[in-house]
Amino acid sequence: MIKIESVTFKHQNGTVALQNVSLEIRTGEATAIVGENGAGKTTLVKHLNGLIKPTEGKVTVFDLDTKQTTVAQLARKVGVVFQNPDHQLFSETVSDEIAFGLRNFGFPESVIKKRLEWALEFFGLTEYRDSSPMMLSGGEKKRLCLAIVLAWDPEVIVLDEPTVGQDLVQKEKLREVIKMLLLRGKTVILVSHDMEFVWSLQPRVIVMAKGRVVADGAAAEVFSRPEVVGEANLMKPQLLELSVHLKNPPQKPFADIYEARQWLVSSVSR
Amino acid sequence: MVGQQCFEVVAGMQWVSSGFIFRHMESPVHSLDPRTRLLFAVELFVLALVADSPLEVSIVSIVVVSLAIVAKIAKRLVRTMSFTAGFAVMILVINMLVGQPLVYSIVLAIRFIAIVGGTSLFFLTTSPDELEYVMKWFRLPQDMVFAFVTAVRFVPVLMLDATQIMDAQKSRGLEMQKGNFIKRIRNFIPVLVPLVVTAVIRSGELAEAMESRAYGAVKKPSSLYALRMRKRDWATGAISVMLLVVSLYYFLVIAPIG
Amino acid sequence: MKPLIQVQNYSFTYMGTSRPAARNVNLEIGEGEIVILAGPSGCGKSTVLKSLNGLIPHLYSGSREGTVIVDGHDVAETQVSEVAKKVGFVFQNPENQIFMFSVERDVAFALENLGFPRDEIRRRVDWALDLMGIQRLARQAPHELSDGQRQRVAIAGVLAMTPKVLILDEPTSLLDPLTARELVLLVKRLHDELGITVLVVEHRLDLLAGIASRIIVMDRGTVAMDGSPREVLARKEALTIGVGVPTVTRLYGLLTDHGLNLGQAPLRMEELAEAVNRLVP
Ligand SMILES: Nc1ncnc2c1ncn2[C@@H]1O[C@H](COP(=O)(O)OP(=O)(O)OP(=O)(O)O)[C@@H](O)[C@H]1O
Ligand SMILES: Nc1ncnc2c1ncn2[C@@H]1O[C@H](COP(=O)(O)OP(=O)(O)OP(=O)(O)O)[C@@H](O)[C@H]1O
Ligand SMILES: [Mg+2]
Ligand SMILES: [Mg+2]
Repeated sequence: MIKIESVTFKHQNGTVALQNVSLEIRTGEATAIVGENGAGKTTLVKHLNGLIKPTEGKVTVFDLDTKQTTVAQLARKVGVVFQNPDHQLFSETVSDEIAFGLRNFGFPESVIKKRLEWALEFFGLTEYRDSSPMMLSGGEKKRLCLAIVLAWDPEVIVLDEPTVGQDLVQKEKLREVIKMLLLRGKTVILVSHDMEFVWSLQPRVIVMAKGRVVADGAAAEVFSRPEVVGEANLMKPQLLELSVHLKNPPQKPFADIYEARQWLVSSVSR
Repeated sequence: MVGQQCFEVVAGMQWVSSGFIFRHMESPVHSLDPRTRLLFAVELFVLALVADSPLEVSIVSIVVVSLAIVAKIAKRLVRTMSFTAGFAVMILVINMLVGQPLVYSIVLAIRFIAIVGGTSLFFLTTSPDELEYVMKWFRLPQDMVFAFVTAVRFVPVLMLDATQIMDAQKSRGLEMQKGNFIKRIRNFIPVLVPLVVTAVIRSGELAEAMESRAYGAVKKPSSLYALRMRKRDWATGAISVMLLVVSLYYFLVIAPIG
Repeated sequence: MKPLIQVQNYSFTYMGTSRPAARNVNLEIGEGEIVILAGPSGCGKSTVLKSLNGLIPHLYSGSREGTVIVDGHDVAETQVSEVAKKVGFVFQNPENQIFMFSVERDVAFALENLGFPRDEIRRRVDWALDLMGIQRLARQAPHELSDGQRQRVAIAGVLAMTPKVLILDEPTSLLDPLTARELVLLVKRLHDELGITVLVVEHRLDLLAGIASRIIVMDRGTVAMDGSPREVLARKEALTIGVGVPTVTRLYGLLTDHGLNLGQAPLRMEELAEAVNRLVP
């Protein structure tokens, strides 16, 4: 459970990156944060594990005030996967890379071993366990970064632009991982410019523009508001667009292409 | 503590560099040719070296401050000088400890401030762009000039990288200020390795982009702008030289006698 | 007419690796085409692009077979700076391709390197800035720009050399949807106004498919498919290879599998909706 109360954040050079943002994110929720370049999405996300403390206002994560808690304490609960893998990979082997976080959080060696095996297996990295992380491809590095965070089993998983440079197959895998996390009751926060990917998760969508939250609601509702889509430089997801143009529109926009197929096939044969 | 210090050093560097980094402004000083401003800086440097009484170094300092005010950069000059002030005090104390007379120590300290101030005045009012042209005017080799340009251009970018890397590693539970001395040193590895890696990647991409933009195609590249000395540059330059001569005469000839 | 770009039996293996990153690639691209180069991550797209402007083999060492000919010149035998005049290359990260401290100086960078006279540089810089709609940013510093604006500066910087081919490697992947769309439309306009040939790599094709005349799909280093976007994207292999087929085209595939007759493959949802609407009784 995360509570953001009237948070304003100013950078040292005076740039106001967040302006009076208030939000509440409930456990088990899938949330997408979208909005134009420079809207303040990454800045907001950095508040969640205390990397950034609000200039004004208050952020509470699992009843802990981030101003009074260390990043390490918060990070144990809120795992953030940043956009650029090269900003964090440093170990000699993939295994060490995954174990690093687990050691920092003080897990006993037996648990570390178990978690490590699970993460390697789950992300298909077992064959690389002894290779250097630097030798992995871009897509594999991204997967490793996700494995690193999921290994310590945080309650909240934050993904900043996870789909950049990823091909269809990898995106599909990522979607499955997110769905699995949600099924296990985790809270997932996704920051993305990829409207199709966002739509496929049917999350709660928070729209940001110029440091403010300009809309917050179910994906179908938020993306149906042209003024929001325009203000935050978004684009309407294609399946929503489809519903608008159909002679025989569904009651609610299609969540995925399979739902769309079912409706369209039946509406044609009626 | 080491981790904390590292963080503070980076934050401090950002702060100081935000003072150093040139900002586009309009003022009588900014509108001069950079070579005229360089002349000022050299003249102030010479004057400060020659000045050897409290009165003389104060005069030089006052000139620096007045120029800063005219250039509308007084505030930022004070900010960058706050670092220098510490050194100045150190110079003062050390000199007194080794038994130098107080007056002499004070002169040394103020002289130091005046020299740094005069130099900062030049860098604060000169865009890296103009600096590049000055370097070219001095006929420094093209590669050297470009290396300088890239360095200045990418220092802030690398600093941003450093912040992001520290953020990423802290998010993995790295506590830089934890543990004994050895452990704290080791805590740097997770930051240093990615920093080097990203710098190398960046320079590779830069090299690709440079090649793709015909870098090094001809021996003597042309340029969009040329430095141009205008009437006011000649005039201010001439006046400043006259003032320099008069001051030198006073500092070196009249003052010692009187 | 001779094609502008000719790649013949081309293979390249980076030094220190064993698997060729490009394997027996054959390509012909004519003047005035807009071509998308697609395929899964690591299939060799960037390798092919870099081979077209000479970064490979001049900047990267490795073993090479076959030839790459651009506008009649064998790229491997020509200096990169010579090829650069014909082939403008724009990279993914806008930060790493702006060197100078002001937009106009950066746009002038290539021209200065080529030793153009000052008034010619001025003329071309203004022309390129104007084309990209960034004239009012001329005196701005790179750190004062948004990512979208920086990407425009990067394009202006290569356009100033009046290249015949514009190559873009994932130019929009860091941009927000609207900024990305504006960039794509701008590229289309450049093509229409200047007749410039465009070759672009991108993972998400929903924006690009509509402006492209052709799409080439690579898989494991070699060309797997080549044809018009409507034809290629509707093929099953496109999905299995891992091409970022737009949602609309995927849905079209599902529907035609189901026996619906929807005519040619759509690239925009309006088209699909229209085709379906026609079938609704
Ligand atoms: N270290 C910094 N110093 C000063 N300003 C910064 C810094 N980091 C970010 N900013 C500014 O803060 C604002 C918000 O940036 P932020 O990175 O949060 O945006 P974003 O929504 O994540 O954008 P993008 O979609 O491009 O990733 C921007 O105007 C940015 O330029
Ligand atoms: N400098 C290099 N040295 C060694 N191998 C490389 C180098 N650059 C790329 N490779 C390898 O060559 C293959 C093709 O890489 P390339 O960058 O061309 O792929 P791509 O299709 O552009 O992928 P992406 O969509 O991820 O950008 C990959 O296996 C990659 O690991
Ligand atoms: Mg961001
Ligand atoms: Mg690539």
